[in-house]
Amino acid sequence: MVVLSFLDWFWIVAFLLLMVGSGILFYRLGKRSEADFFLAGRGLPWWLPASSVYATHTATDTPMWVSGVIYKHGLAGLWYTFFSAWCAISAFVSARIFRRSLAYTQAEWQTLRFGGLPSHLLRGWTAGWQVFMNMFILGWVGIAMGKICHYLFGWHPFVGLMVFSAACAVYVLAAGYWGVVMADFQQGIIAFVAILIVSFWGIAAAGGPAAIVTKLEALGQAHRLNPFAFTGWFGGDFPIAWFLTMVVIAVIGGFGMGTSIDWYAEAQRIQSARSVKDAAWCIWSGTALVLMRNAIWGAAVLGFFVLYPDLTEVKDYEMAWFRLGFDNLPAGMLGFFFAAIVAIHISTISTHLNLGAVYMTRDLYHHYLRPEADERQLVWVGRLSTLLLLLGSFVFGSIMENITEWLIFALWIMAAGVWLPNILQVVWWRFNGWAYLASWIANLVLSWLVVWVLPAFGVIPALQDYQQFWLLMVLGALVYVPVTFLTKPEDMKHLVKYYVMSRPIGWWGPVRREAEKLGLL
Amino acid sequence: MAFIRRQWTPREADEWTREDWIAIVLSPFAYAALMVGTALSVMLMPVGYVILAAGVVLTLVMHWVINPKLSTVSDEYEKKQKAYLEELERQVKWEDEP
Repeated sequence: MVVLSFLDWFWIVAFLLLMVGSGILFYRLGKRSEADFFLAGRGLPWWLPASSVYATHTATDTPMWVSGVIYKHGLAGLWYTFFSAWCAISAFVSARIFRRSLAYTQAEWQTLRFGGLPSHLLRGWTAGWQVFMNMFILGWVGIAMGKICHYLFGWHPFVGLMVFSAACAVYVLAAGYWGVVMADFQQGIIAFVAILIVSFWGIAAAGGPAAIVTKLEALGQAHRLNPFAFTGWFGGDFPIAWFLTMVVIAVIGGFGMGTSIDWYAEAQRIQSARSVKDAAWCIWSGTALVLMRNAIWGAAVLGFFVLYPDLTEVKDYEMAWFRLGFDNLPAGMLGFFFAAIVAIHISTISTHLNLGAVYMTRDLYHHYLRPEADERQLVWVGRLSTLLLLLGSFVFGSIMENITEWLIFALWIMAAGVWLPNILQVVWWRFNGWAYLASWIANLVLSWLVVWVLPAFGVIPALQDYQQFWLLMVLGALVYVPVTFLTKPEDMKHLVKYYVMSRPIGWWGPVRREAEKLGLL
Repeated sequence: MAFIRRQWTPREADEWTREDWIAIVLSPFAYAALMVGTALSVMLMPVGYVILAAGVVLTLVMHWVINPKLSTVSDEYEKKQKAYLEELERQVKWEDEP
């Protein structure tokens, strides 16, 4: 347990008041309309949603995860965090296309890209899945905060989960996305300053950069300084085949929408930007900052490694970065550090509360239940949805220990069998709603077979995750490619409307020619 | 005509051109160089400074290439946004479909 001084508590209370108070200040803006409550009126300059991208992807569990992979693999572990590089291409391709569609959410975009019954089935499915996923992420991140509070103060983990998520919900309920993005801006600054201070303090505690290099060489661990220290093409726990698969998934995935679980949060930031250009630069720069922050964490965790080179339990070394702070910062600074952890935590919580609520309000309530609802009703449904997500996250958080394995599997199936369909829906006019729906259904079945059932019965050997990815991609294609050609293309008028509005990249020749024939281009 | 265009009409900027592809290729390398360069620079390794500088240069070149085009796309699109938003609201109300 850590003992905090008066100055420490001052920092914590002051930061909490600042964060919650600044969110509430935007109450009047948030209640104006559905577009204000969920997209801040689509009028933000690039640096505001960029800070939100950065703050959202700096969660309490992120330094634990980065610590884990760097302690295990050295700087080569940074490539695990390179999955966020999907924004490299997305910023100039799918973000541009999505921003021009003006859809509030990915689920809504499905009804613009596809037509008829499959589009509505897809919208319902995507919205339901996103409500579930946001509730899950809230529980997951919330219980990570609970564990930190338990480590620091001896509180029951559920107390840490509830207190800070509930404090955050105050401004999300009041001001919606306006509260989220304004609080994220200051939380992002606080978090970045704290990450710099703690990381460099930790590196100094390990003797400084030169001493860390010398100690790694003395320990026979100099390869940890090499970001390209792979264990061969296919063998070992860090093969080149894994690296190449990761690069393909991350980088080429930028041509699609939904190829990363982070797309759904970024989609909200893309639509809240005031122009196509602001949308592009907000996700590009926010992600660049995320990658550079991971690199700073990586260097600090090397310092932790030379201080404690013999840790074998994940639960011990995944706390590396937190321990550098709590073990080394002087009294008075500990409160600042904890306040920064709170900032890191609630910036993620606020995003997922508002993001889950937009799917519940816009895609389920407004679309299916009350299409004639007025703006005032929609804002109130948004608030009620936020509250439901908060309560749901408490339930998820309390049972997280038991379901994590299953839900990580749920995260995995998001990426594998539907990775290519998520790209095809953007770049190929002939790919239709039935094919996309078929790819989801096929993936739900095939991923269970490939990951769990067939290896258990010895039909196929237990495969590494990158091998599962390629196998699922091929098997999925055997289902959705025939479905594409055995079902009719989307209605040409529907496609022309979508094309003229969004101007997608890729194979859209017949649609473009039709649009030109109609004099729309 | 210059290899990289810096002046665009709205109609030309709506097309996917060489400038888009240059940004698409440079961008992942910029990310990788910024990440690796930062880590090695913090460790005060000279190769880290070189990689980080390469990342910054790639970022600046990418911005120089693509930003004029993005500006033109944005300016033209924002003029149409109000009409597009009305069209969007009409399209997504599924009860109105024939």
